Amino acid sequence: MGTNINVGVFCAALAALAATPAVAHPHVWATVRSEIVFSPDHRITGVRQAWTFDEFYTAMAVQGLDTNGDGVFSKAELEPLAKVNVDSLKDFDYFTFVHLGDDDEHNFPLKPPVDYWLTYDKGVLTLHFTLPLETPVDPTKKEVQMDVYDPSFFVAFGFAKDDPVKLAGTPGKGCTATVKLPDPGSEEDAKALSEAFFSQLGPGSNFGSQFAQTAIVKCAGK
Amino acid sequence: MRGSIRAALFAGLTLIIGACCAEAQSDSPPSAFEPAQVARPSAPSPFAAPPGQGSAFTIPQAAPLHAPGLFGAFFSWVVDTQQTMQRELVGGVKRLKTDNVFAAAVGLASLSFIYGVVHALGPGHGKTIISSYVVANEETVRRGVVISFIAAALQATTAVVMIGILAIALNASGIAIKSWTLQLETVSYALIALVGLWLLTTQLVRIWRRWREARTDPVVALSLAEHDGHQDDHDHDHDHHAHDHDHHPGDGHHHHHHAEGEVCHHVVDAQSVSGPMSWRKIMAVVFSVGVRPCSGAILVLVFALTQGLFWAGVAATFAMAFGTALTVAALATAALGSRELALKLGGRSGAWANGVWNACAIGGATLIMLFGALLFAASLGPARPF
Repeated sequence: MGTNINVGVFCAALAALAATPAVAHPHVWATVRSEIVFSPDHRITGVRQAWTFDEFYTAMAVQGLDTNGDGVFSKAELEPLAKVNVDSLKDFDYFTFVHLGDDDEHNFPLKPPVDYWLTYDKGVLTLHFTLPLETPVDPTKKEVQMDVYDPSFFVAFGFAKDDPVKLAGTPGKGCTATVKLPDPGSEEDAKALSEAFFSQLGPGSNFGSQFAQTAIVKCAGK
Repeated sequence: MRGSIRAALFAGLTLIIGACCAEAQSDSPPSAFEPAQVARPSAPSPFAAPPGQGSAFTIPQAAPLHAPGLFGAFFSWVVDTQQTMQRELVGGVKRLKTDNVFAAAVGLASLSFIYGVVHALGPGHGKTIISSYVVANEETVRRGVVISFIAAALQATTAVVMIGILAIALNASGIAIKSWTLQLETVSYALIALVGLWLLTTQLVRIWRRWREARTDPVVALSLAEHDGHQDDHDHDHDHHAHDHDHHPGDGHHHHHHAEGEVCHHVVDAQSVSGPMSWRKIMAVVFSVGVRPCSGAILVLVFALTQGLFWAGVAATFAMAFGTALTVAALATAALGSRELALKLGGRSGAWANGVWNACAIGGATLIMLFGALLFAASLGPARPF
């Protein structure tokens, strides 16, 4: 072992030290309220999302959009922004990951939103859109989970404290929706975490997954 | 000896990380989130209704973001702090309209300053670049501080000028502002990578020149002769850090001479660092970092503008820049201190000092280059929706 190995170790430690505080942090905050939409035969056909953004993001997003200058951001004035939002969401899988149980390796494919619009009220924007599942999913055999998060953690998604998830349409009897937050005490993902930590700057960053909050739809029986 | 150094370094790192996490844990409160209620399918949805019925709208509050594990506790604390401060800033700008203007202005400036100190810990404020640069280039602490402050001031100026032109003069949309921000970021990252490449090239050329001088300069060779035989590791050294040596038809002895010779030359170099070449490099580093507007500043500026208080946004931006400069300067100083410590660890060993200098020079330049390239590649991804 040469001196240079030690020097290398030292400089790697120095570099790690210099890079450690570069913790990815969110720039946009969104409060999530979701509706799980059921078909008449009690399958899940899609999700209605309502994401309410923070005041800073809102100020930025609506800048220059009050085209008639009446001090109100109408649905029509916000429509170009809504279109940009929804169109570019496609590249990010709509930040919505629906799967059976906790099998987050196999997410159900989603179709582009069938409707979308933005509302501006009390200084904050809310983006509404309905995401259909490509094929309806039966939640009776196994619970259906939906994670809403940004893997790169640029946007911090958190479910609303009040009424985060609702059931819409015709859910079967005994269907419930709850929200599960990551358990701060859990160590099981420690390895994945450190990987996420060191890859946070890369294009394939999955840093945000550790903060992912999950909506769980359970249907006890038919 | 070497094992103990490594052990000491490791212990130091562990202590630092441990301290962070301990603090983080005590700072992150337990989740206050109650288990979600059972949904009532028959109840009308408050938000699925068509827009335009704003009066009944209450802004929903999100559950706190918490990640599992020790690292997670630290990250959660960072995120909580960031959100709290962002909300404080929103309130700080609003208070200018309702409260005593002077008191509110002082409050906003202080908030912005603290926000800057903390926000600089996130990526994109030249922390890694500037620290790497000063470590790699035999710069002094004072230089490190000056570089940090110029870079932060330039980032703030870029943000003010950009928002001034786009939002005020052109009434451009938020989408346009975002797109400009992203393009300037991409330019910045590309410049950082190029600056890293340039630094690396000059370092390699410098090392190669010294090696040649040491080989041909009899005085240096003579002064080295007495050291022969002290350090057994020299041959290992060169195989590791100076790649171009391998291509040279020199034998082990020449390699050895080069190592000692460089230490002698180093004394001269330390005195000549403040030459014009060094300032040119510094300006390149500062420009590559400063061409990217500070993201926090843009948010404050645009929000202040919507409140009709652009001047407050400008003041907040510079208070914030002062904060980020302090953090970056502190980290650069710490990096320099670590290099000095590393030099001392080797005692009077010229080979060790030489190894530290070369590893820092090449490592620092390489880090800047890779970092810039990585961020550049990441910035070319698909356009973000928000």
